[in-house]
Amino acid sequence: MSEHPAPLVHLVDDDASVRAALEDLMASVGLSARVFASVAEFLAEPLPDAPGCLVLDVRMPGQSGMEFQRQMHALGIHLPVIFITGHGDIAMGVAAMKQGAIEFLTKPFRDQELLDAVWNGIELDRKRRAEAAALADLRSRWDSLNPGEQSVARGVVQGLLNKQIAAELDLSEITIKVRRSHVMRKMQAKSLAELVRMMEALPSAV
Amino acid sequence: MQTHASIQARPPLSRRARTLWLAGLALVMAAIFSVDTTTHYEVAAAVFYTLVVLIAARVLRGRALLWLAVWCIGLSVFSFALTPHGDLHAGLINLAISITAIIMVAWLVIKMEAARDAAHAAQAQLLRLARVKRLDGLTTAIAHEVNQPLAAIVTSGHACQRWLGQDPPKLAKAELALNRILADAARASQIVTRVRSLSRGEPVQAVAFDFNAAVMEVLALSTDELERHGIELALELAGNLPRAFADPVQIGQVIGNLLLNAIEAMADKPDKAHVLRVGSILKEDTMILTVADSGAGIPAEIQAHLFDAFWTTKADGIGVGLSISRTMIEANGGQIWAESAPNGGAVFSISVPVEPRP
Repeated sequence: MSEHPAPLVHLVDDDASVRAALEDLMASVGLSARVFASVAEFLAEPLPDAPGCLVLDVRMPGQSGMEFQRQMHALGIHLPVIFITGHGDIAMGVAAMKQGAIEFLTKPFRDQELLDAVWNGIELDRKRRAEAAALADLRSRWDSLNPGEQSVARGVVQGLLNKQIAAELDLSEITIKVRRSHVMRKMQAKSLAELVRMMEALPSAV
Repeated sequence: MQTHASIQARPPLSRRARTLWLAGLALVMAAIFSVDTTTHYEVAAAVFYTLVVLIAARVLRGRALLWLAVWCIGLSVFSFALTPHGDLHAGLINLAISITAIIMVAWLVIKMEAARDAAHAAQAQLLRLARVKRLDGLTTAIAHEVNQPLAAIVTSGHACQRWLGQDPPKLAKAELALNRILADAARASQIVTRVRSLSRGEPVQAVAFDFNAAVMEVLALSTDELERHGIELALELAGNLPRAFADPVQIGQVIGNLLLNAIEAMADKPDKAHVLRVGSILKEDTMILTVADSGAGIPAEIQAHLFDAFWTTKADGIGVGLSISRTMIEANGGQIWAESAPNGGAVFSISVPVEPRP
C-alpha cells in the first residue's frame, strides 16, 4: 500500500451521458473517477486500494442502488455512498440516509453540492482506512508475539507484578522479565500506558 | 369512451318515446281499473298494477315511481269502493294482498335502481382512477426520460465552466463538454418528439364510414349518463350525408370526449332543465358535427386555453381531453373549434372530410 494513494471516485449510473458528464466534472476538479453502467459491472472489477466514495444512481436496471447499499458491507465494501436520483422523493431520501448514505441528490443537481459530498466522502473514507490500517498493523504486531509472551502481556495489562505473573504461570521472575521486554519491543510500546492502550484496541487479545 | 361500454347500455329514449311509454302505461292502468270495477269484489285485477310499476321503472325513477305506486293503490281502493257486487270479505283480503304486492314491488324496484346507480358510480370512478393512474405512470416515465439528458447537460455545463475557469483555460476540454451538451440536448428533443408521437397515438387508418351511424354509436354509450342527469337529447342529424373518410375509432373517441364534456358541464348545474343538441351538416367537402350543451358556457378568458394540454377548469380533470382531441382531429384532416352559444352553454364543432369521389 503506497503511503498516500490518490482518491478515486466510483460512479455507477445506467445513463451513458450522465456517466460521461460526471466523469468530466470530477476531472475538471482533478479527481480521478471510474465509471460503471451497473452494480454488476462495478463488482466485476477489483476495488483499487485507494480512498474514495461511491456515487450511485438509485434507479438502474438490474440491482438498484438502494438494494446494493444494503449488501455492501456484507461484501466487504465500506465506501461512503452518495445517491443521485432522477425521481427522488422525501421518503426515499430518508430511507437512504438511514441506511448510511452521506448525501441524496436529485438530478439535476448543482455541481458544488455533489463535489462537496464527494470530498466529504473521500475524507471519511481516508479516516476509516487509516483506522483500519492502524488496527491491522497492531494486530500483526500482536500476532508476532509467541503464546508465552502473549500471556505475560495479558498479565501486565491487568496490572499484575512480575512476581504475581511468575506465580500464575509457574515460571521464574527472570523469565517473565525477559518476556516482558520482548513484548514491549515487538509491540513497539514505549511505556506501560501505551501497551495498555494498544491492548484495549485489540478486543480479541485480552 | 370505454367508460360505459361495459355497463349494459339501453337504447336512447327520446322525449317522444318516453311520452308514448307513459301513455301506454296509463292505458294499461285504465284497463285494470275497469276490469277491477266491473267484476266481482273477489276478482283481484288490482294485483296487475305491480306490472305497471315494474314497466314504469324503465322511464320513471325514484320519487316519480313512488307516486305512481301511490296512484295504483288509490285506484285499487277506488275501484273496490265502486264495485257493486261479489264476496265482500274475499274482496277485502284480495285488495289487501294487491296493495301489499304493489308496495313491495315499488320498494324493490326503487332499491334495485339505487343499487344499480351505486354500482354505476363505483365503476365510473374506478375507470377514471385507472385512467389517471395510467397517465401518472406515463408522466413519471416521460419525466425520467427527459431528466437524464437534462441532468447530463447541467453537469457538463458545470464541468465546462470549471475547465474555462482554470488558468490557463482548458479550451479543448471545454469544447468536449460543449459537444456533449449539444448531443444531450438533441437527445432530449428526440424524446420530446417521441412523446408527442405517442400522444398522437395509433397512426390514422382512414376508411369510408357512415358518419351519423358513428355518432349514434357513441351516443348509445352516453345514454346512461344523459338519463342519470335528466338531460334531454335533441338530435339534428342531416339525412343523405355522403360517407366520411377518416379513422372511425379516433373520430368516435373525439365525439365521446365532446359528449362527456358537455354532460359534465350540464351536470355542474343540476337545477336547470338541460338539452344536449347533437347535429350534423354537410358543408362543401366536409362534414360538421356540433355538440351544444346548456351548461355554463365558455368564459372569454378561458377560450384561449381551451385546447392547451394540461389546462383544465375541472376539479378532478387533468386537462388533456381537448388537447388530444385536437391532435386526433387534425391528424384526420379535420378541425375542432368552440363557440359560446347565444343562450349560454358551449358549442363544440368538429369537421371531418367526406369520402373523395372516385
